[in-house]
Amino acid sequence: MTDQRMVDPTLLASSDPVALAGARCSQCGTVVFPAQDGCPRCSHRPMDTHALACTGVVWTWTTQHFAPKPPFRPADAPWEPKAIGYVDLGEVLVEGWLVPSARDWAIGDAVRVTTVPAWTDDAGDVHTFAFEHAEAQA
Amino acid sequence: MSDRSDSVYVVGVGMTRFGRHDDVGDLDLAADAVRQALGDASIAWSDVDVATGGTNGETKPDNLPTYLGLTGLPFVTVRNGCATGGIAMLTAANMLRTGGGDIAVAVGYDNHARGAFNSSPARYGIADWYGETGLMVTTQYFAMKARRYLHDHGISEESLGRVSAKAFANAADNPLAWRRDPLTVEQVMTADMVNPPLTRYMFCAPDAGAVALVLARGERAFDLCDAPVRLAAVSLRGRRFGSFEVFSPWLTPGEHLSPSVDAAAAAFTSSGLRPSDVQVAQLQDTDSGAEIIHMGETGLCAHGEQDKLLAEGATEVDGILPVNTDGGLLANGEPVGASGLRQVHEIVRQLQGRALGRQVPNGPRVGFTHVYGAPGISACSVLVRD
Repeated sequence: MTDQRMVDPTLLASSDPVALAGARCSQCGTVVFPAQDGCPRCSHRPMDTHALACTGVVWTWTTQHFAPKPPFRPADAPWEPKAIGYVDLGEVLVEGWLVPSARDWAIGDAVRVTTVPAWTDDAGDVHTFAFEHAEAQA
Repeated sequence: MSDRSDSVYVVGVGMTRFGRHDDVGDLDLAADAVRQALGDASIAWSDVDVATGGTNGETKPDNLPTYLGLTGLPFVTVRNGCATGGIAMLTAANMLRTGGGDIAVAVGYDNHARGAFNSSPARYGIADWYGETGLMVTTQYFAMKARRYLHDHGISEESLGRVSAKAFANAADNPLAWRRDPLTVEQVMTADMVNPPLTRYMFCAPDAGAVALVLARGERAFDLCDAPVRLAAVSLRGRRFGSFEVFSPWLTPGEHLSPSVDAAAAAFTSSGLRPSDVQVAQLQDTDSGAEIIHMGETGLCAHGEQDKLLAEGATEVDGILPVNTDGGLLANGEPVGASGLRQVHEIVRQLQGRALGRQVPNGPRVGFTHVYGAPGISACSVLVRD
């Protein structure tokens, strides 16, 4: 797990178990993702780095039926429709891929954050974070 | 009437056909709309005291006097995405109220290429990974916002189909609309899926068009026009913390207040009228879910009431709350700089009883317009034929 290259190394607070790296405002408690320096609610800065919850529920979702235009970087494989959603992690809702894409997703579905391959370059796979359905977890 | 002196009225409207204008220059398109508006008000460009204009494209609106006449008038350029037209109108009205003159022109235009609106993360202050992983797609946002709204308020997906079918039915009779082929609710709902629950016929697309208004202050308006339409209020609002906007890697939990709520409330307060007074409305229908959401956010109905209203045909031209009577964005497309003024053009014509397409019956007197867009702005107006 620790050898995985991420689309952006600052997105993860830990890789085993996978946890996303957000930021929390010490003044008003607002949690954001990805981490940023100033609080968008009360303007306090700096915000503290903060690992987000690993599990949550689907808040809304859709399926991306067509391949997005650049700057999207497609995988080598032919395009397959991709499920995307906002996941309620309690303190914050985070947008990301829902895996597996080909299932009948519903608002309220339980998920856990994980990493999956996004694309491949000369040095191998590059991973991004995703939310995996509870029933699909090993 | 003594209270007329501070009021600003629309006394002329002009609009090009919306759709593709690949062989026409952006400024030529804009000049066409201005000439039509001047003709509608029976005045010359040399009669105009001040002008405002906006586009999301590359041309400079303040070059328009080169096309229309270099009279020395002050020309203010605005550029605020989908609120461009509304802000051009607001700015022109304020210039008249503060002594800038008696007659103003406000113009909005755009000539987008097919498939425009490709966004770069950096322009929105977002890191590259967001675009590289395919999350920087506007249609995803509209679909996810619509799904959550339908879920929260018990609205059926069939309502999404009804909104689009109504738009294309209205456009069929509007000679300036782009997509004029009627579609049934079933045809809309079974069309190619773009982002469920939204099919291809539930989204508007970027296109081309220009709209211009002639505004006049006080008694001058009544000299120029038999039925001037009073600009009772124009309000602009930006997003507050917690709103649900496009290109958001994260959202805050709890209620997601929209700038549409604030802009509409401010417009009604300022006009002294209530949402229940509105007899014809134009709402931002970037997608069919947006029209449903905006009916509630602007206060024109209660959240959740839309399913019943749409099933009863309340938002059709002969219904109790006609919405997007010219086909809206769904059938006219979205030349961003022109879209807000297209809404005003339609309301003015409806209140004057001379709609180009389907006329709302029984002489409506109060109209409402609403635009909403990235990065979280909304402009609303209340228009009254006294």
